[in-house]
Amino acid sequence: MATQHVPTANGTAMNGATSLVKSLEAANVDVMFGLPGGAILPAYDPIFDSTIRHILVRHEQGAGHAATGYAQVTGRAGVCIATSGPGATNLVTPLMDAGMDSVPLVAITGQVPSAAIGTDAFQEADIRGITMPFTKHNFLVTKAEDIPGAIAQAFHIATTGRPGPVLVDIAKDALQAQTTFNWPSKIELAGYNPRITPDNQSIADAAALIAQSKKPVFYVGGGVIKANASKELAQLVELLGAPVVTTLMARGAFPDSHPLHLGMPGMHGSVAAVTSLQKADLLITLGARFDDRVTGKLSSFAVNAKVIHADIDPAEINKNKFADVPVIGDLRETISALIPALKAALAKNHPDLTPWNASILKLKSSYPVGYTLPDDGSLSPQAVIERIGQISGTDTIFTSGVGQHQMWASQFISYEHPRTWLNSGGAGTMGYGLPAAMGAKVGAPDSTVWAIDGDGCFQMTNQELVTCALNNIPIKVAIINNESLGMVRQWQTLFYEGRYSNTSLESKRVPNFPMLAEAMGCVGLSCERPEDLDATIEKAMSINDQPVVVDFRVHRDAMVWPMVAAGTSNDEIMIARATAPDWDSQEL
Amino acid sequence: MSIHTLEVLVENEPGVLARVSGLFARRAYNIDTLVVGPTTNPEVSKMVIQVNLEGHSLEQVIAQLDKLISVISIEELVNGEKKPVKDTQPDYQN
Ligand SMILES: Cc1ncc(C[n+]2csc(CCOP(=O)(O)OP(=O)(O)O)c2C)c(N)n1
Ligand SMILES: [Mg+2]
Repeated sequence: MATQHVPTANGTAMNGATSLVKSLEAANVDVMFGLPGGAILPAYDPIFDSTIRHILVRHEQGAGHAATGYAQVTGRAGVCIATSGPGATNLVTPLMDAGMDSVPLVAITGQVPSAAIGTDAFQEADIRGITMPFTKHNFLVTKAEDIPGAIAQAFHIATTGRPGPVLVDIAKDALQAQTTFNWPSKIELAGYNPRITPDNQSIADAAALIAQSKKPVFYVGGGVIKANASKELAQLVELLGAPVVTTLMARGAFPDSHPLHLGMPGMHGSVAAVTSLQKADLLITLGARFDDRVTGKLSSFAVNAKVIHADIDPAEINKNKFADVPVIGDLRETISALIPALKAALAKNHPDLTPWNASILKLKSSYPVGYTLPDDGSLSPQAVIERIGQISGTDTIFTSGVGQHQMWASQFISYEHPRTWLNSGGAGTMGYGLPAAMGAKVGAPDSTVWAIDGDGCFQMTNQELVTCALNNIPIKVAIINNESLGMVRQWQTLFYEGRYSNTSLESKRVPNFPMLAEAMGCVGLSCERPEDLDATIEKAMSINDQPVVVDFRVHRDAMVWPMVAAGTSNDEIMIARATAPDWDSQEL
Repeated sequence: MSIHTLEVLVENEPGVLARVSGLFARRAYNIDTLVVGPTTNPEVSKMVIQVNLEGHSLEQVIAQLDKLISVISIEELVNGEKKPVKDTQPDYQN
């Protein structure tokens, strides 16, 4: 689907700025999101003539998250571009976000002329220094002839191994200087050589361990999606017949409709998913990283389980949880190798998983993730999200902000396909959802894209609706308007005696979201009665030539359950306020 | 013993010291001493780092260090002798 660019011959004379654009074309970039300014201005002149589509955003943070949404939907590197100083620092949050969620991103920033670096020049910021902690790598380029090499390396580093964000900061004089174009035919980095193929011994050890286990669980993380390994995962699960949990970053990696799928583990995970990890004798960990939001109190996490940990990043092994069998490599290769190895191991010894599966599936049926409708007949936020999922269907791409609505969107929408659920998992970036939806729609123009956003989150990045309206990017946005910073308010309800310090957004009417949407060139709708819910969603579904924003005015006090309070053990999971599951009736 | 000496070959490029020291700072690893010098290859510098583990694992320190693209290789020095870091997994060439 990538745009076909006319290749530029090496040795062609041009300035650094043109060589930057020709390099992006050589890297097969078809779209980038950005906003110009003085230091990057030389690059915007050749951008004007390029076959690359440049989408002019209204805030650089929007460019960064849009590039992320694009990357998460397409699996290709997302590209964003900004000027020096404040333009570059506006990319800091998206870069950190992409680092936490292993998203392949290439950010290009203009820098003040090399002679001015270090002089506190106008719009000078040490963006390379600022982004060092959370980029996979970054560059400061001060010579025109170094531009193609840096761009080639940036794409290589961003998209191979464990994907991640790479920043290329280019001094203005390097963009202006004359040079000859020279795109490298080969990239060699002495210090970078990611291991793709897992070693045979670790595959054999993993297969042997699985074939001994009576209580195994597949603990599936976002790495499965990055590696495009869903098909292989499905085969592996069928082969063993063990239960599966998918983390917040892995929703869609394995179909929710599958009977062995227990849902999401972690702080707001299902009882069955959380408990299966706690009671397992083996975690088959695939592209997950034992994040504290999944493990709860680490010392009481899965204490009786042996651990197989398959990941492309060696530094994840033994970081939080000891791995009995580490397997380092690309997950698609790993799972593909594990299938025949496990077949052979199971032929010798095939433990009966029936009792384990029965007890876990009983938990799944006894404690489905659910919600109660508000007593006063007002609109339920969970019902809104659930109905959007049902009406829009499983080919829809969903993004979300961060907060209660995010957790409900992960719980009450059924995900059947990888790359249909995009959210800010590791960083928890409020404001991610709307620009990410914009990028997702650009990457998958034929798919319906819904941003499930909070009223708080929406107010952080809604300016990109203008970008959507003017660039024919017809996304749909559901504002779950509970006139609150709801997730923080929930913590205040539970842990601060209901002292709601600075979490009320005061009003469901200010701002007037539909009018705000209309002002930005979108269709604005609203809904506050349950009886209007389906008709409103269908109305939004029927508009495909313009962005649509729906203000769903929902009950304020709804809470996200189940919950494992931060820092406590997963064994202390609550299904409602002060209500634990009835463990006595379960056999585990 | 929680003090280990690592000999780290790195790309000789501006900012590489910040990359290494920044990694140690943000992951709360303690540096006792750090010496940087040239090698026979002008593109490669050598860092000798004494790290006081204080509860961190050497394996994790090395794995995180090796994730830096500018880090080429890592060896542990024991009594002045080079001891290649454990050749089992993880693969420190990554
Ligand atoms: C940039 C940023 N600031 C603050 C937070 C802390 N935070 C987490 S959820 C949340 C509330 C979000 O409110 P809203 O978008 O209305 O979502 P709700 O929880 O009400 O569904 C806040 C403030 C954050 N995650 N990100
Ligand atoms: Mg809210």
